[in-house]
Amino acid sequence: MSNQSVSAKYFPNEPQQPIVKTTSLNVSKQEIEALGKVFDSRSAYFAADYSKSIGNYIADVDGNLYLDVYAQIASIPLGYNNPALIETAKSDKMIRAIVDRPALGNFPGNDLKEICGEILKVAPKGQDKLWSGLSGADANELAFKAVFFWYQAQKRGYKTDFSREEVESVMHNQAPGSPELAILSFERAFHGRLFASGSTTCSKPIHKLDLPAFKWPKAEFPSYKYPLDENVEANKKEDERCLAIVEDLFKTWSIPIAGVLVEPIQSEGGDNHASGEFFQGLRDLTIKHGALLIMDEVQTGVGATGVMWAHERFNLQPPPDLVTFSKKFQSAGYFFHDPEIVPNFAYRQFNTWCGDPARMILAGSIGEQILKNDLVKVADRVGKYLYEKLEKLQSKYPKYLKDLRGKDRATFIAWSLESSEARNQFLNDMKKVGINIGGCAEDSVRLRPTLIFEENHADVLIEAIEKVLSKY
Amino acid sequence: MLRRIKGVRYLSSKYFPNEPTSPVVKTASVPGPKSKQINQELGQVYDNKATYFVTDYFNSYGNYISDADGNKLLDVFCQISSIPLGYNNPKLIEAAKSDEMIDAIVNRPALACFPSTNYAQILKDGLLAAAPPGMNKIWTSLCGSDANETAYKAAFMYQHSKIRGNKPFSEEELSSVMNNKAPGASEMTILSFEKGFHGRTFGSLSTTRSKAIHKLDIPAFDWPVAPFPKLQYPLEEFEQENRQEEQRCLNKLEEIIENAPKQIAALIVEPVQSEGGDNHASSEFFQGIRDITKKHNVLFIVDEVQTGVGASGKFWAHEHWNLTSPPDMVTFSKKFQAAGFYYSNPDLQPKDAYRQFNTWCGDPSKAILAKAIYQVIKQDGLVSKTANVGDYLYSGLQQLVNKSDKLKNLRGKNFGTFIAFDCVNADVRNKLLADCRLNGLNVGGCGESGVRLRPTLLFEQKHADLFLNILEKVL
Ligand SMILES: Cc1ncc(COP(=O)(O)O)c(C=O)c1O
Ligand SMILES: Cc1ncc(COP(=O)(O)O)c(C=O)c1O
Repeated sequence: MSNQSVSAKYFPNEPQQPIVKTTSLNVSKQEIEALGKVFDSRSAYFAADYSKSIGNYIADVDGNLYLDVYAQIASIPLGYNNPALIETAKSDKMIRAIVDRPALGNFPGNDLKEICGEILKVAPKGQDKLWSGLSGADANELAFKAVFFWYQAQKRGYKTDFSREEVESVMHNQAPGSPELAILSFERAFHGRLFASGSTTCSKPIHKLDLPAFKWPKAEFPSYKYPLDENVEANKKEDERCLAIVEDLFKTWSIPIAGVLVEPIQSEGGDNHASGEFFQGLRDLTIKHGALLIMDEVQTGVGATGVMWAHERFNLQPPPDLVTFSKKFQSAGYFFHDPEIVPNFAYRQFNTWCGDPARMILAGSIGEQILKNDLVKVADRVGKYLYEKLEKLQSKYPKYLKDLRGKDRATFIAWSLESSEARNQFLNDMKKVGINIGGCAEDSVRLRPTLIFEENHADVLIEAIEKVLSKY
Repeated sequence: MLRRIKGVRYLSSKYFPNEPTSPVVKTASVPGPKSKQINQELGQVYDNKATYFVTDYFNSYGNYISDADGNKLLDVFCQISSIPLGYNNPKLIEAAKSDEMIDAIVNRPALACFPSTNYAQILKDGLLAAAPPGMNKIWTSLCGSDANETAYKAAFMYQHSKIRGNKPFSEEELSSVMNNKAPGASEMTILSFEKGFHGRTFGSLSTTRSKAIHKLDIPAFDWPVAPFPKLQYPLEEFEQENRQEEQRCLNKLEEIIENAPKQIAALIVEPVQSEGGDNHASSEFFQGIRDITKKHNVLFIVDEVQTGVGASGKFWAHEHWNLTSPPDMVTFSKKFQAAGFYYSNPDLQPKDAYRQFNTWCGDPSKAILAKAIYQVIKQDGLVSKTANVGDYLYSGLQQLVNKSDKLKNLRGKNFGTFIAFDCVNADVRNKLLADCRLNGLNVGGCGESGVRLRPTLLFEQKHADLFLNILEKVL
């Protein structure tokens, strides 16, 4: 274990403990109400004071300082007010990127290759190109478009022009120009909330109700029995069962399936894990049926699972066709390697901005810091430490730490409680002892700390959990 | 014809004291050799098929865009209509260097869960201060496409909620939606117009009807489309024909709505169909839409992504119409750098939390920029200045169009600098755009054979003169 703390290096003044001044959150409530008059703020936990937030600690307007293991829904990579990122934010390059935002597809800056190059330094193994977007949902939809372009080009020929019938029918949103093609996703998956990404999302009804959706299929995602090492045979059968469903859908779904979209760990849907064999099975099936494989690394990507990209653990052969990213990387988009994933004509994968160099520059910096400080290893090391402590707590409070998940997945850890109410109560009580922590699915708790969350932070977290659970 | 005006104080000189006095073209072609080389390298990692030229943003200044070869072009395309105040505007640099901005860049919040203390104020001083008449609420997003899609989501949830009343979701809705099926998944639709452009994510693309290349190979919702008036120019000569054409389109629209097999939740229209060719219609036409949508309980969304933020000589182009009641939602992006939609009816906010939701729900760094943009526009009276420059530019263009046998259908009278004209065919148009670039003018096309002007709000008479001189020379 290295004794050089990275968080102390970035944040010599990071507090040792949370500060709980008040649990009534009066100022927060006022601010949220004021904001609510002009902006839907009903999902607000509290009003945050980012100027007072530091490292792993987030400040609210009531003077509380929470240890943050939710980190803006898994999207703060290096802690609040990280000095290295502040330096980037103040750089001439950044200022230029903010002030003169280019339409990248038409007028790329002369430094765009370099900016992409910085991001590509931490690209998943086997990927060497990227396309940039603006959010997780956007990244996935851009990837779907790439998949559909590719799929039709396979049939038509990469360089073949469109038929007259296609060109005419498409203006009426009809086939063959607007073909009926599907993306297959999984039950309990979450891929975003625009219309196509929303059609692949399958975590909760509230995410989908009242919105039109494409008639795209869902397969089942493995539901494992825990602990894993005691249920090897049963879980293997579960993989096979789910893969058979995927194969069946390829053969029977009314619309051809052009791509399969899957998270390495289903995050919003409850931190559901699956084996490398399952994912290799998916890889094989997509190849067999002439479809592409998209790994959605929006939440799992950028280090938190102890590898830069969670799917790298599966060592898929050949690597996935597209890997989408956002959140912790601050910049969004997809990685790919096959040049024919770039559509044959201009203005097909296109929009006004085609990404945002300001955010791309930040992503480059985040990647650089991760490499420089070996933060993926840090997450791995701290994750092991934390997981062991949680296991111990689990034996003491089994009802409140059911199905502990994320062994050997660094700090990407989750567990379940017995009901939604119990879980919500727990999240609430944790806030009162100074921990900002998030849930997922109906009954689960997930840890999504920064990459500079270390043993001392883990100790604070464990102590707080124990404090809360000891009163139950 | 040489145009020169003496004794005029230029605001652009205040912001850009060293702005070039005319374009500089050093290379025999634009893009030049350096641009081509860099672009080729870029192509190894990034789809660069649509590159005009590689740009040097560090040396772009005011109304001039600098390319990798050191050429400086007068820019009337402005990043597809999205640069409001010129390149490297000192006021925006100031905003970019502010503590507020640095905070927003390094501590990007999940706004709906952990709003920052200053977000309400940032909105109030910027995006909301600029809200169209009758609108006082906002939802923020990231680009034009998702501004429209979040507005569509609001429309669908509103219409279903109206039908459902106070009842909770039914068991059937809750289970069918997980299979993307009705009744939980909506069968309602969004109506758009022929030649409309509303973005390229799947929902917005289903309403885009500009060109086949924007849509091919991408699955789309089977949503209805109505005809948009095809006006004849010059307007003064075709008053009666155009009135009839608009009435025809309104009649057709009402017919489509009345016979729609599925409920139409909302209608979306641009004040000027921009990507589709800068197609205008009269205020009466839009008032007609307002009346029909009201009558049939269809929400009326105005897409001001390209027309908004001053270029039309009003802050929002739909203000030209003087509608009897405001639209239900107005979407924005581009020149405002921030994106989203405005509304006023509180019922357009879904009843439950976490329905209009995503990780970031916007980007405070862009809202801060929007605030700075709004404040400059307001302080310097840029909207009315743009209206004046537009009138000047229009009359200059009118003379050119009258003389030329290559140009026709000049549009955008009394509409600020939001001006366009057609060439006799696409080849002539494409050659014109290329020749302009070679003469130091960066200008964009739209539709099949259109040329559109989308300059900054600091494009002034002297720039208009340069523009007209170059165009005349090229012609
Ligand atoms: C795996 C995954 N994909 C996509 C998304 C959507 O990202 P965004 O909210 O930025 O649209 C999320 C967000 O939680 C996610 O976890
Ligand atoms: C009127 C209109 N709406 C929507 C869009 C889509 O905006 P974006 O490219 O930012 O998604 C555009 C872009 O040109 C537009 O002109």
